[in-house]
Amino acid sequence: MNTSIPAISIKGLTKDFAVTLRGVKLRAVDDLSLQVEKGQVFGLLGPNGSGKSTTIKIILGLLGATVGEVKVFGVPSHQVESRRNVGYLPEAPYFYRYLSGYELVRFYARVCGVPKAQLKARVNDVVDWVGLSQAANRRVGTYSKGMLQRIGLAQALVHDPKLIVLDEPTAGVDPVGSAEMCELILKLKRQGKTVLITSHLLAQIEDVCDRVAILDHGKLMVEGSLLELVGQRDRQALIVDPLPAAEIEALREWLTSRGHVLNAIEQPRARLDQLFLSKISRTGHLGGNPGVGSNVVPSSSVPKSSASAPSSAPKA
Amino acid sequence: MSALSVPFSFNRLALIASNTFLEAVRQKLFNFLLLLAVGLVASAQFFRDFNFGSSELKFIADFGFGALIFFGSALTITATAQLFFSEIENRTALTLLAKPIWRAEFVFGKFLGVFSVIGVFCALTIGLMMALLWHREGQLMAANPEAFEAGRIMRYGDLFIVGVLQWLKFGVLSAIVLLIASFSNTNLYTVVTGFFALVICHLQYLARDSWSNVDSLVLRSVVRLLSFVFPNFQLFNLSDEIGQGAGLDPMLAGRVALYALGYITVIGGLAVYSFRNREI
Repeated sequence: MNTSIPAISIKGLTKDFAVTLRGVKLRAVDDLSLQVEKGQVFGLLGPNGSGKSTTIKIILGLLGATVGEVKVFGVPSHQVESRRNVGYLPEAPYFYRYLSGYELVRFYARVCGVPKAQLKARVNDVVDWVGLSQAANRRVGTYSKGMLQRIGLAQALVHDPKLIVLDEPTAGVDPVGSAEMCELILKLKRQGKTVLITSHLLAQIEDVCDRVAILDHGKLMVEGSLLELVGQRDRQALIVDPLPAAEIEALREWLTSRGHVLNAIEQPRARLDQLFLSKISRTGHLGGNPGVGSNVVPSSSVPKSSASAPSSAPKA
Repeated sequence: MSALSVPFSFNRLALIASNTFLEAVRQKLFNFLLLLAVGLVASAQFFRDFNFGSSELKFIADFGFGALIFFGSALTITATAQLFFSEIENRTALTLLAKPIWRAEFVFGKFLGVFSVIGVFCALTIGLMMALLWHREGQLMAANPEAFEAGRIMRYGDLFIVGVLQWLKFGVLSAIVLLIASFSNTNLYTVVTGFFALVICHLQYLARDSWSNVDSLVLRSVVRLLSFVFPNFQLFNLSDEIGQGAGLDPMLAGRVALYALGYITVIGGLAVYSFRNREI
C-alpha cells in the first residue's frame, strides 16, 4: 500500500438524520475535514451529541455520508474492502452472551478470514495479549465491563488490522481497567498501528494521543498535536526541593535582574489516578471481577514474547 | 481498488448461520422445541383410547401436521424477528457489520440460521409423529389383521415429503418476516406484521379465486397483483393426499418445492436490498 495514503481521510463530511416525516433534519456532522496519518494515535473529542460516534460509524461504513467523502487507506468507506484492515471496539460493547470469550474471538477471526492453520494460535495470542486467558472459556454474559472491553479489543485485533477504532474504550471501566487500556493502546502505537479513539476522559487522551480533534455540534472546533494545542511554549516549570521564603525572594530578584518574571510558585501534585493505581493491588482487580481477576494475567506482566500484538497472521 | 476485492463468501454466510443457530439453541428456543415434541409424544396416549381403526392413523397424521403448522408458524415468525433484532438491539450487528462482510451475507446468514432451527423443529415433530404412527399402526395391524391384508397403509415417504414442504413453507414465511425486519424499527411491529402476512398468505387463494368476479378493472388488477405478491400457502396443504389413492404426486410436490424456493429467493433478495442501506 502506498505510504503517502493516510489511514483515514475525511473531506467535507456532512451527515443529516431525518427526525420527522416532514423532512426536518438533524445535522450530526457538519462539513468535517480530517486526516489521520498512519501510525498515529488520534483522539476524537467532544461532548455528547457532538458527532463523534456518527463520524466513526461513517468511517466503518455503518452509516452513509449525506455529503462528503471518507476514505480508509484510500478506499471509500462504503466499500466492504475499506474494512479489511480495520478493527473496531464499539462503545459499551455487547457481544454474543451465549459464546465463551474464546468462541467469540474465534468467530470474529473466521469472519475476518484468518486462515484455519493460524486460527487457534492467533486467537490464543490475542486473548492472552489482552490478559483474558484464564477467563477465555467462560461465557461472555458473565464478564464484567472491564473484561468486555478486553475481549472487545481482542476481537478487534484478531485479524491484525492496521487501523483500530476505539469508541469510548474506557466507558464504565474502573481506573485500573482504564489505565490498562491505555497501556494496551500504547503497545499498539509501538507496533506502528494507527489508533482512532474517542473518550470523555481527557487526561487519558492526553496520555496516549499524538493528535486530537475537538468536535462540537458536528463541527470541527480545533485539531492538532497535543503540544500545539495545550503546550505553553512561552513558559517553563522548574521543580526544586522546598525553598525557604527568603531564598524564594532572592530567586525572584535574581530573575528580575535578568529580565525574567517568576509567574507562580506551586506545590507539584501527583495525579489522582496515579495515586489510586499506586494504592490498588493491580493483580486482584483486572477485569474488575474479584475472584476472576486474580487469575487473569495483567497486561503489565505479559511475557515479553507476547507483549506485542501478534502480527504473524496474513491480512484477511 | 475494486469493491469486489472482498468477494461474497459462503463461508462467512455459513458462519453467521451457524452462530444464529447456536444462539437459538443456547437461548432456550431449542428447549421450547423439545418441549413441544415431548408434548406431542405424551398426547399420543389419548389416541390409544379411541381405537378408530385405520382412520385413526389419518387422524393422528392430521393432528401432527396441525401441531406442526400451528407451532411452526408461531416459531418461524418469533424466531426470525427475535434472532434478527437481537443483533440490532444488542448492538452486536455494529461489531459484525464493521468487519469486511457484505450485508447480503448477514441477511442470508440470519435466514439460513433460522431456517436450520425450523428444520430441526420440523424434523423432530415429523420424526416423532412417524414413530407414533408406525407404533400405532403395528398395534392396529395386530388387533385387526383383516384391515391390513396388503400390509401397512400409511405412506411414510409421503409424510416425510409433506414435512419437507411445510419446512419450505416456513422458509418462505421466514423470508417475509426478514423482509419486514429489514426496514422495521421494532421487534413487536415485525412480529405483528408477520402474523398478518401469514393470514394473508393462507387466505390468498380467495383473492386469486375472486379476481375474475370483480367488475372494476383497477380493483381486479390490484387483487391480481396482490395474489402474486403474496405466496399461496394453501398450495402446501398436501397432507390430505396422504393415505389416499395413489398417494402424493411427486411432480406436484416438486412444483410446490420450486414455488417455495422461488419465493424465498425473491423475497430474500428484497430483504437484502432493503437492508443494504439501513443505518445501523
